[in-house]
Amino acid sequence: MSSTSRRYRRTACTSLALVLPLVALAACGGGSGGTSADAGSGTGTISVWAHQGQKSEDTALQNAVKSFNSSQSKIKVELKLIPGNDYTKTITATDASQLPDVMEFDGPTMANFVYNKKLAAIDSYVSAKTLGNATDASKAQGEIDGKHYGLGMYDSGLGVYGNKKLLDAAGVKYPTGLSDDWTAAQFTAALKALKAKDSDGKVVDLQENNGLATEWGTYGFSPIVWSAGGSLLKDGKAEGALDTPAVVSAMKTFQSWKASTDPNTDGNAFAKGRVALSWVGHWMYPAYSKALGSDLVVLPLPDFGNGPKAGQGSWAWGIGANTQNAKAAGAFLDYLMNDTNVTAMTTANGAPPATKTALAASTLYKKGGPLQLFADQLAKPCGDSAITTSCVAVTRPVTAGYPTVTAKFSDALNSIYGGADPKSALAKAARAIDQDFSDNAGYKIP
Amino acid sequence: MTAVNTARPIRSGPEKRPRNRDWLHGLLMSAPAVAGLVAFVGIPFGYAVVLSFYNVRLGSPLAPSFFGVEQYRRLFTDPDLSGPFLRALLNNLTFAVVVVPLQTGLALALAILLNRKLKAIGFFRSLFFMPVVFPMTLVAVIWRLILARSDQGLLNSALHAVSFGNWGAFDWLGDSATAMASVIVLSVWQGVGFQMVILLAGLQQIPGELYEAADLDRATPWQQFRHVTLPGIRGTLVFVAMLTSVLSFRVFDQVYVLIHGGGLDEDATRTVMYQAVSTAFDQNNIGQASAITVVFFLIVVALTLIQRRVVRPDNED
Repeated sequence: MSSTSRRYRRTACTSLALVLPLVALAACGGGSGGTSADAGSGTGTISVWAHQGQKSEDTALQNAVKSFNSSQSKIKVELKLIPGNDYTKTITATDASQLPDVMEFDGPTMANFVYNKKLAAIDSYVSAKTLGNATDASKAQGEIDGKHYGLGMYDSGLGVYGNKKLLDAAGVKYPTGLSDDWTAAQFTAALKALKAKDSDGKVVDLQENNGLATEWGTYGFSPIVWSAGGSLLKDGKAEGALDTPAVVSAMKTFQSWKASTDPNTDGNAFAKGRVALSWVGHWMYPAYSKALGSDLVVLPLPDFGNGPKAGQGSWAWGIGANTQNAKAAGAFLDYLMNDTNVTAMTTANGAPPATKTALAASTLYKKGGPLQLFADQLAKPCGDSAITTSCVAVTRPVTAGYPTVTAKFSDALNSIYGGADPKSALAKAARAIDQDFSDNAGYKIP
Repeated sequence: MTAVNTARPIRSGPEKRPRNRDWLHGLLMSAPAVAGLVAFVGIPFGYAVVLSFYNVRLGSPLAPSFFGVEQYRRLFTDPDLSGPFLRALLNNLTFAVVVVPLQTGLALALAILLNRKLKAIGFFRSLFFMPVVFPMTLVAVIWRLILARSDQGLLNSALHAVSFGNWGAFDWLGDSATAMASVIVLSVWQGVGFQMVILLAGLQQIPGELYEAADLDRATPWQQFRHVTLPGIRGTLVFVAMLTSVLSFRVFDQVYVLIHGGGLDEDATRTVMYQAVSTAFDQNNIGQASAITVVFFLIVVALTLIQRRVVRPDNED
């Protein structure tokens, strides 16, 4: 009798020890409904998390924080920089209650953080002036169901940088803007012509050093999918959107470029003149223009049949869902979005400013400026679903399932680049995405 | 061991006490280690087993739902998932099968080479031990430069120079035939110094008189190695081999660093640890990742038990 009861008790204790964490998780995961952000007194210390990017970006941000702290005595900002590669993982793995008052996040991850109740809507905390001054593209990226959860200091541009000297030497004709963009076949032909003049036959840089099974893979190369008339996700489903024959054939073309691609291990392939073309975003502009001067040209990505497409969206700022000092957080965001800070940041990273006044004053993006192309692309936004032949800048899918979408797509991209069959790789990714969405009831934001 | 052996034949009543106290002391002495094992291995493993039966997402507002053996079914029968998983298992096994003999053998050779009375031998020893001091992630970043696929890569340009320009650029990391070999070479280079130090300590335990006697018997160096050195360090060697195989199942850092920035062939080098980490933290799929780690844990435990059976150190002497 006593031995069985003891055994019973032991079993109960063991199973309790095993199940308890799960209960805790279920309790946390279940959420208590609604965000618990509190306006607070608008004074005191607020914590801020940001990703560690290029050194110049970090310095611009640190300067903004420093000048904010010295501009007034009511609010003190404590900035914590977290390495960019692990930034999103850090937020994902951190419990909502441990998150800071203000945090930066990469645009496409926003929906997931809203779904996880990690972000509060900012509408009532930032000033109307700040919201009114944000560009439409930036506002669209940060909006879910009419509420704004994020505002960026800058947007992003994607294109092909060219070395005019090398292109001219190889007799390659290149586009002057979006209207006379080269087709995929013309781009391939350009690579061939450049190859004939190049000692090692590596003439293009695809930022392989960033890895393709990463967010760079998705941001940099999903324009190929869109330009071929496909989509990462259509009506919450990837099958039939990601694996269409047109996308498969476009990916085959992409695969064929590997032989002409410099692995760019040192990150200097284009700046040192080893390659004539570099497929990368606005963030390389400061380094490239310094290295090449007037030999630098900015071109659109090649057209795979459905018009040229480019990525859109970048890092944005939001307010943690559990902050007790949202008023102070909003005041800091207002300060970050002023012309001085936005201009300093966009000068540091070459990005298109995401506020109307800073954009109008930008020397890089105004009409006739060296990066006018990126501004032109952003002026024709597609959103994340209405991808027509005439729009250019496409927002990555705004869904809480984005982590799976990007993981599966970039994996497929990486294996295609490595030589796998595009058709089976894309079909596999589409099946995996759809499976994940059905496991999660379509990631409906409650 | 010996205390228990001598205690065993004594059966009379009053003598029972010392045996009891041995048991108590044993328990006390193992307590810190056991507590650590339970806290850091036992409980997380139990937790992983439970999680693997649920559909759990990191930070999802949906409550974890019971999934039964669905995660395991997908791992073994869903071709999209089981393909990479089984491939990862195979890669892990290949890595272990190649690395264990290679690294142990190389460590032994280095230990013998460095076990002599030379001037500045300390310098040479630290030279060979140096890579162990560097974190694997750092080593992987450096080897990325060595193995880069353009002719700017250190290895490619060295081969180019040695072959009088007949060697073109080769994609060491991206080619499925050499991707795993590259990972193995860099892992062995990084880790071999550690095993070498342990073996060196073993070698120095062998009494010098044995070699003097062997010299007097006119034993050749090879005979000395076979009949004096090897038996002298047998126990150490078995320990090193076991340690290396356990460590080799953990291969993760180098694959992670090389895939995220080196154009490493993912299929040819994906290991189970890599798959578990990316499933959990890139796709937030904790249930699936738990199932992967549970299966892997069981396989590694089984393999370790088999290995212990096969190469049990004979400590009878």
